[in-house]
Amino acid sequence: MTNFIQHITFIVLILATFMAGSEQAFAQENPIQIPGGSFHSILPEVEGEPIEVEDFYMDELAVTNADFLEFLEQNEEWRRSNIPAIYADSGYLKHWKDDLDPGENVKPYQPVTRISWFAANAYCRWAGGRLPTLNEWEYSAQLMDFDSAEEMNEFANELMGWYSAVDVQNTKTVGSTDIENRHGIKDQFGLIMEWVEDFKPPISNEISLDCGTVGRMQKLGNTYSYAASVRYITRMSFNPKMTTGMVGFRCAYDAGKTKQQAEKSL
Amino acid sequence: MKLFQTLSTGLLILLVAQSAIAQHMNHNAMKAQPVQSEHSVYHMDASWTDHRGESFQLADLQGNPVVVVMFYGNCTQVCPILIRDARRVFEAVDESLRSEVNILAVTFDPENDTPEVLRNYAIKQDLNIPQWHFTTAKPADIRELAMLLGVQYAQKSDGHFSHSNLVTVLDERAELLTGWRD
Repeated sequence: MTNFIQHITFIVLILATFMAGSEQAFAQENPIQIPGGSFHSILPEVEGEPIEVEDFYMDELAVTNADFLEFLEQNEEWRRSNIPAIYADSGYLKHWKDDLDPGENVKPYQPVTRISWFAANAYCRWAGGRLPTLNEWEYSAQLMDFDSAEEMNEFANELMGWYSAVDVQNTKTVGSTDIENRHGIKDQFGLIMEWVEDFKPPISNEISLDCGTVGRMQKLGNTYSYAASVRYITRMSFNPKMTTGMVGFRCAYDAGKTKQQAEKSL
Repeated sequence: MKLFQTLSTGLLILLVAQSAIAQHMNHNAMKAQPVQSEHSVYHMDASWTDHRGESFQLADLQGNPVVVVMFYGNCTQVCPILIRDARRVFEAVDESLRSEVNILAVTFDPENDTPEVLRNYAIKQDLNIPQWHFTTAKPADIRELAMLLGVQYAQKSDGHFSHSNLVTVLDERAELLTGWRD
């Protein structure tokens, strides 16, 4: 199954590259529309007022090493040897062999990691989009359907297991986790953590793994609430220059803009 | 008040250093030069638009001290204080050097704060003066500047923003040597 998904992903990527032609590349895959709605965040919110999210589009898959290589080929200022210190720490793409050579140990369809928030932001701008907001990413992440409560609990347990031991030495390829939301957004869990536009909201000081936060999360009655709290708290320890093997990204697009892109490609 | 004094003192120290450079530099503020430091905010290549409708890049401000404050026009609580603090810093600079300082007031709210809205804001605040730039840009660029400066903000359901309150003084090279570190 995994090989099959990799194979299909490979074909999609080749097709997307071909269709993009020599113009500025947009998303490497067709972005998927996420209809707007509301959800309860683990962040403090006005009682009875869940967070509203408008329609948006998001990449089906995380940005890969192959995608990022294309970005670097066209944007030399973001290459490892050129990037100024203000935009990334010294670990930026450290696992790549050279500026434009990921090397044999870095697979083209693994998600790109060891990139700073600034580089992720620049990539999405180049790709005609933007980083998803914290609320968009989290809203999408909880749009999952399960056949039973047992299945849901089992998944929640697996999720916590994954968060407690993210294996950055053996990152899977994109699309290979078999985890997707009801709209087909893949790998929001089980692959990497992902940059979002506003990863450190200004109320960060109120969030910690203390009893108050845990109690608030339990009240949400959300399968992922504990795992979500791990994500929020982990993100708050990030800084935008940081590069780690655990963090990659995907892009999002405003609904209006992506419709124009879609019309253009017809 | 103490904070204000600290800011003023910091700026004056910068200006003393700056005045030596200023003696042999072109005083035209809108002239981009190669970015001089790995740690400079002037690596940003985004296009910004001020309340006069003029477009510029941050690197155009290179060579002169810049005071940066992030705010939004509909903010009636903390933001007027932030603008007032920036104004105090500006007015604390000796009048003979004041023309060399730029104040960059960047909105969090580009959707509402168009250049026209910002122009009205500047006039209302009595700050429609050459050194002041009430400025907007694309949302991703505004976020990038905020990330560089360590300013956090998020829009709430009522349209207002929660945000950090920070006035940043940049020297002539706009180096950020504190804040995010390796």
